[in-house]
Amino acid sequence: MNVCLWGPAVQSESARAASRAEARFRIDAPNSRRRAVKVIALDSQSERIVERLAQSSWAGAVFLTAAGGAPARGERFSISGWLADLAGHTKNLVGEIDSADHVVMIATAGEKLEAASIIGEACSLKQVMTTALVLSQASTGDAVLSQSLAQLRPWALMLVIASAEDYIADMLAALRA
Amino acid sequence: MLKKDQNDLLTQTGPATPGGRLFRSYWLPALLAEELPANDCPPVRVKILSERLIAFRDSAGRLGLMDEFCAHRGVSLWFGRNEEGGLRCPYHGWKYDHTGQCIEVPSEPVESGFCGKIKLKSYPLIERGGVLWTYMGPPEKQPPLPEWEFATVPAAQSFMSKRIQECNWLQAMEGGIDSSHVSFLHRGELNTDPLFRGARGNQYNMRDARPVFEVVESAGGLNIGVRRNAEDGHYYWRITQWVMPSFTMIPPRGDHAIHGHFWIPIDDETCWTWSYDYHPTRALSAEERAAMRAGKGVHVTYVPGTFRPLANKDNDYLIDRAAQKAGRTYSGVGGIAMQDASLQESMGPVVDRTKENLVSTDNGIIMARHRLLRATKALMEKDATPPGVDLAHQRVRSAAVVLPADQPFMEAAKDAMIAREGTAHASV
Ligand code: FES
Ligand SMILES: [Fe+2]
Repeated sequence: MNVCLWGPAVQSESARAASRAEARFRIDAPNSRRRAVKVIALDSQSERIVERLAQSSWAGAVFLTAAGGAPARGERFSISGWLADLAGHTKNLVGEIDSADHVVMIATAGEKLEAASIIGEACSLKQVMTTALVLSQASTGDAVLSQSLAQLRPWALMLVIASAEDYIADMLAALRA
Repeated sequence: MLKKDQNDLLTQTGPATPGGRLFRSYWLPALLAEELPANDCPPVRVKILSERLIAFRDSAGRLGLMDEFCAHRGVSLWFGRNEEGGLRCPYHGWKYDHTGQCIEVPSEPVESGFCGKIKLKSYPLIERGGVLWTYMGPPEKQPPLPEWEFATVPAAQSFMSKRIQECNWLQAMEGGIDSSHVSFLHRGELNTDPLFRGARGNQYNMRDARPVFEVVESAGGLNIGVRRNAEDGHYYWRITQWVMPSFTMIPPRGDHAIHGHFWIPIDDETCWTWSYDYHPTRALSAEERAAMRAGKGVHVTYVPGTFRPLANKDNDYLIDRAAQKAGRTYSGVGGIAMQDASLQESMGPVVDRTKENLVSTDNGIIMARHRLLRATKALMEKDATPPGVDLAHQRVRSAAVVLPADQPFMEAAKDAMIAREGTAHASV
């Protein structure tokens, strides 16, 4: 019988289960499989950040860039030849989204972010979770930031406005990317 | 997921730990003012940040918070005689003033001045807003007194309670910024709890089960916005405030009071959950106070004579499987506060964050950890004052607003998120 000196003579199941001693018996087996996280830079500043991030070791995260920019207004858009990996190899957007569990778009406030709508549309078609992360300095004006947010908001189920680049690495690690 | 060393850093707050140093940068709620109701009243044991202390109010009303144990042979001063301007150890009569200074050692000649050599470690203790606050950091860095709005409105407008929570502070606090659990765990309470029901916003909550999130760094911590569809081209936004290290404010509902919490480590496996409710512009009604005392909203009822919730782990939180099955409660546990606490305690004394699988909607939690780690590092390496010390960081409000779809909450609700004396909170 378990005796607790300051509680009832017989411990409840919850009391026993929540003890430090019992915490040791949490089984040590993996409880998830690898997720396919695709991190896409939307502008050239973000591309440099993504390049730095890609240097670290990740659990399968794929780093891409769309910083080449979406085609100018009026121009015909071709889905190929627009998204690229960091070595500059062209990637097929639909193929990349198809094999993704989660797409993280990295954006810099004030930059051209048209690519968000194209990626976002593909993600919503394929029902892929989207996160947009905007880096915004204290010096970024409200109007500039809000214009960037307006471009991202329709396409992000989670929108994060961060002040420091190192948040991205922490976030990706937290997400087991 | 966090690495083990990061988890240790965030969850350990004893003396000489980095996390402990972070907490020791702030004024922290230590006792309810009513725990020391009168001059020369019985002293009260206080354990905070893994230090055992004794609090007392001396004959002149001065508040003391010091080492619990007599410097002579280590007796607990909880047995002390609180009389004539000090707390006297009942064993051999050594007497201490409110600063911990020994002022009498009966066995030694007064002329020897021996008692001047004896001093217990002590911390300042001040009263504000019905709470006794302490600051446990270096005296030269003592910040200005706290100015949280709940503590500065007239007493008739606010209500404060505290309860013991039997797990590490961080897993409790993370529940306070985990906006995505509300539609599950607490769904039964939105329409039944007297401190929540009847708000227009509740309808949006119920109708749109797929909210969209925005997490924005603020000067003192975070704004966590959750957006749901409202009428024609509008969004219903709920914006939670988190201010470092452990203050949260939940978005209000209708004209109900605003509420939120502080999570203060007792030791690394127990914490105080402080729960406040206040209205910026009106007195709380007798019914509201009665509901708060009866454990509604974010409050609880207690094991008589203690701050331990009546539903606790020793009685399996009075879980009611029939209510769970029938959908009256989602987890079978009654009341918002214990719905949260029961699950957080079930994780174990300190949850192992190496095993978790966070998802994108957990970005509020991820960002809070990131900021805590960043601030702790800056404090350790550069002695940088952490966010949340600045009084401007404390003058914040949560908000619940309906905005046109093209307006970001950060701008449209900017004013609503600042506490301004005499102005009502933004709430639908
Ligand atoms: S569903 Fe979130 S802890 Fe289980
Ligand atoms: Fe909750």
